[in-house]
Amino acid sequence: MSTVFTIWKKEMRVYAVNPTAYAFLAVFLFLSGLFFFLGITLTGEASLRVLASNLAIVELFILPMLTMRHFAEERRQGTLEMLLTSPISPFALVLGKWLASVTLCGLMFLGTAILPAILAYYGDPDWGVVASTYLGLLLAAAAFCAAGLFSSSLLDDQLAAGLLGIVFLLPFWLVSRAEALVGDELAERVRPFGVLNHLDSFGRGIVDSADVYYFAALAFCFLFLTYRALESRRWR
Amino acid sequence: MIEVIGLHKAYGPRLALRDVSFNVAKGEIAAFLGPNGAGKTTTMRILTGFLPADAGEVRVAGFDVFDDPHAVRQRVGYLPETPPLYPELSVGVYLDFCAELRGMARKDRSRRVGETMERVGLVGWERRLLGSLSKGYRQRVGLAQAILHDPPVLILDEPTSGLDPAQVAGIRDLVLSLAGDHTVILSTHILSEVEALCPRAVVIANGQIVADGAIEELRGRAAGGPWTYVEVQGIEGPQLGRLPGVKLVEPLGEVNGWAAWRVRAEGDPREGLAASAASGAFRVRALERRLPSLEEAFISIVGREGTAA
Repeated sequence: MSTVFTIWKKEMRVYAVNPTAYAFLAVFLFLSGLFFFLGITLTGEASLRVLASNLAIVELFILPMLTMRHFAEERRQGTLEMLLTSPISPFALVLGKWLASVTLCGLMFLGTAILPAILAYYGDPDWGVVASTYLGLLLAAAAFCAAGLFSSSLLDDQLAAGLLGIVFLLPFWLVSRAEALVGDELAERVRPFGVLNHLDSFGRGIVDSADVYYFAALAFCFLFLTYRALESRRWR
Repeated sequence: MIEVIGLHKAYGPRLALRDVSFNVAKGEIAAFLGPNGAGKTTTMRILTGFLPADAGEVRVAGFDVFDDPHAVRQRVGYLPETPPLYPELSVGVYLDFCAELRGMARKDRSRRVGETMERVGLVGWERRLLGSLSKGYRQRVGLAQAILHDPPVLILDEPTSGLDPAQVAGIRDLVLSLAGDHTVILSTHILSEVEALCPRAVVIANGQIVADGAIEELRGRAAGGPWTYVEVQGIEGPQLGRLPGVKLVEPLGEVNGWAAWRVRAEGDPREGLAASAASGAFRVRALERRLPSLEEAFISIVGREGTAA
């Protein structure tokens, strides 16, 4: 467990001085503000509903870019060779990196805390709903980061890894809104795999264990695949 | 300390290693020599457990690399071909991270990092960012990382490549100071370095071990073996070749009016040559037993095409 913390600490240090991380943080905060503003002016209600559903999509595009560095860059720098020949398990490596990226997401959400504060100043938001909305977004972020790590473990090129991560995640978005594409019957069947459907109830203030399991399972699958990709090491 | 038996490794259709076997005893410094692409890095990566082998057995410090990789990793210090550095971290933070990776307790860490930095000549550099270091310093940090946990086995992949002569000398002294309680295997293609450092060389070419032994032995065996250098006056080549025991003479030019020859003979011809000279057949001023240089030995062992790369 202490090795997970060692990796986590190092990743947080690297994030702290990484200009790309700050750039994506800025984009994320800007879009949060924009969707918050649009949501308020369009619906006229003191809630984060519009913000939350749009922010999930923003996460889907930004988080793979934030995690693309992890294994692709370690491999390019040759540091992966050192990590994998150190007496730590590849699983601790994957877990430490994942926890660091989830921590960064947490910090990003902290940056958006001003938005509910504005709601509270002008209106009377339901704090339970605000909390469950944030919980849902954080769970989605955890799953998306795992997907980003997986794509990063597959490719040597950072940018390609980031784009591949988005490609991995797009289907989970598309199946949530598949009615127009494939007809009602099939859409009904694939809907349980959609990210947005599982976020809906969080947005209504309901924390359903099925939704929590969905994101946990998604994260677990991608982390496991990352671990397998590192273990196989057949590249080169 | 390092036992390699019948190692095979293929990358797709290309066979990188075939039936590689060698041993390195405890406290020994062994050089791993070979042309570029011969399989040095592949072998080292297998020794450290970074790459799996297709067949064969590897035991490092008494543990099987494939069955017990964790035990091996704890006992090996490894410097890959490119020093594994994070450009955004400082020297001190990086080495502390490496120490933590090896499971050192907090209080030992700062002491060990300090000692190691002193040992590789990095005192006063702890706050520098790794990304801003020159090649020589990057190599030092890489070496520091490898010896940080005082591992019994050190595997160094081209530790002196790209360094200037003074830096090479520094690394050489460091490696020599490690001999005795550490088993070191280092790869290089700088032959003078091998002679200065390693009494023993394992030569690999095209994925196969082509020679393994003491440097002197390799030099003695290769390129026609030992020969005798003579400087003479008053005798021509053909006559020299007819002297008892002499098999072959080759001219090496003239030195201040004396003709220099390379004499190959059955056994040591020096006594016979001296006796002939004493009897007044010719005059001699130099009579020296010589071994082929390591360069000659290397080329004769791995073949000319191997060195072209």
